Amino acid sequence: MITNDAYKGNSKQHALFSQGKWELGFVQRVKPYLFFIPALALAFLFSYRPFVKTIVNSVGLVNYSGRILEFVGLENYLNLFADRNFQTSLINTFRFTGMFVPINLLFCLICALLVYRKRPLVALNETLFIIPMAVAMTSAAIAFKALFNPTIGVINHILGIQIEWFNDPAWAMVTIVVLSIWMALGLDFLLLVAALRSVPLHLIEAAEIEGATSIQKFMHIQLPLISPTILFVVSTRVRDGMLLSGPVLVMTEGGPYRSTQTLVYQMYIEGFKSGNYSKGSAISVVVFVLTFIMILAMFRFERKGVFYQ
Amino acid sequence: MKKLLKASDMTKIVFSTLIGVVILFPIYYIIAGSFFSIGEFSTAAPTIIPTSLKLTNYIRALQETMLMRFIINSFIAASVGSVMRMTVAVLCAFPVAFLKFKGKDFLFFLVLGTMMLPSDALIIENYLTISRFGLVNSYFAIISIYLLAPVQMFMLRQSFKTIPHTYRESAVIDGCGEFRFLTLIVLPMARPIVLTLTLQSFVTIWNTYLWPLLVTNDPAMRTVQVGITMLGFAESLDYGPTLAAIALIIIPSISIFVVFRKRIVEGISSGAIVG
Repeated sequence: MITNDAYKGNSKQHALFSQGKWELGFVQRVKPYLFFIPALALAFLFSYRPFVKTIVNSVGLVNYSGRILEFVGLENYLNLFADRNFQTSLINTFRFTGMFVPINLLFCLICALLVYRKRPLVALNETLFIIPMAVAMTSAAIAFKALFNPTIGVINHILGIQIEWFNDPAWAMVTIVVLSIWMALGLDFLLLVAALRSVPLHLIEAAEIEGATSIQKFMHIQLPLISPTILFVVSTRVRDGMLLSGPVLVMTEGGPYRSTQTLVYQMYIEGFKSGNYSKGSAISVVVFVLTFIMILAMFRFERKGVFYQ
Repeated sequence: MKKLLKASDMTKIVFSTLIGVVILFPIYYIIAGSFFSIGEFSTAAPTIIPTSLKLTNYIRALQETMLMRFIINSFIAASVGSVMRMTVAVLCAFPVAFLKFKGKDFLFFLVLGTMMLPSDALIIENYLTISRFGLVNSYFAIISIYLLAPVQMFMLRQSFKTIPHTYRESAVIDGCGEFRFLTLIVLPMARPIVLTLTLQSFVTIWNTYLWPLLVTNDPAMRTVQVGITMLGFAESLDYGPTLAAIALIIIPSISIFVVFRKRIVEGISSGAIVG
């Protein structure tokens, strides 16, 4: 009897346990996915859905509230590439990137080479190089606007030149390049200096014993070893260049004579000032494609020119 | 030999100090200019040293504009936004690092894939979404597109992975649930990186310009980055009050930066890719 009862109880317990286990198993199986919900919802809502919608809008006629009235195929793109205004934006975007990325890299490399080795005052010099990181873009842009101002600005005065920075189409872009380098400097410098410091010292010392000059040391030892960091800096900055808009909005508003009007700036104007969402979306798609091609090109280059230890 | 080294050090010091002074100059100019009177701005020979340290420009910046309101708005958006952003990132990085389930890599890839879609090129559609929800001029609108931080999720996952698996095993044996394991064991252990990333998020949201410019049109909802470009002083070449307003914003951020310099530098340097 007793054994029978015990057996019964046991089987009951067993049944309960297995049911609980099943429930637990179900919860256990679903739980990992629950953690993902916020991230996936945000990715869908603010990245993938708008991405798809942007592509769809770029081949349609869109009204003021963002609804598609009809599909027009590639008409928006044909109009876009025939638009002189857009051609200017495209050229300006490349003009900016072509000036900004190489000068920025060169300047940051020089700064990094000046401080990567232990010597007196390294900490102070480093701090001076990275301090622009603490200043936000708009603050910096307003300050540079005042500094470059042809009448009240001190840059013309100190350098003893008379350049109408913001009225001369040839020079307006230079002010944006200078501002962008000033803002990018801190981060890129830090990345490069960290890379230079991680180059094994014995390699450099061996080269020094062999009588290598600083240039030889740099070209044959340091440059190949820090090339992954250089690739990273260049590709992030190329991407930033393709997406330039903030400094343009604050400093020049695309002028003079559209000489600083970039793609994202024009997209903003078409989308929000003229309410032309179709054209704005077509420009977005061009920006996506360009950024993507640039990144692909970087990775192709990586296979040839970048060395990993 | 030693003397030669010293000489090369000397040239390096001179050069880097010169470059440093040039880099510092705009910041110096903001602070010096915040004390200039209109007269000092419009002289034929622009000065760079203020003649007096009167606070007139600061008083004007605070009294004639909504600067304080802008600062408060940015502070609310950046603090709420960075905490929410970290919460989403931690929740996503945790199962990727610790749990085993079907489709994990694919889901994480979906989230990281958003890195390929630059948010600046999505602003038109995102604006339409926000306006359809009637959220224009809200704090949520300002932070909405920054709540997902794929790069930070990746860094969190890397750091979570360094926590030994034995911790998880003993937690499971002791009957500790997933969520409690995350809050009681993982988060305290990953505290430095979580704090650094939260600080980084705060700065990111604080500094954004284009998106808050679009989703706010009520002056009372402007963030500081947007508001500062619309103070209306600079049109008359009277940069004094504008520079004073900028000084009020950058002095705290520079101070914080100098205090946390080591941590910021380490955070960035550890991310450097070296072959």
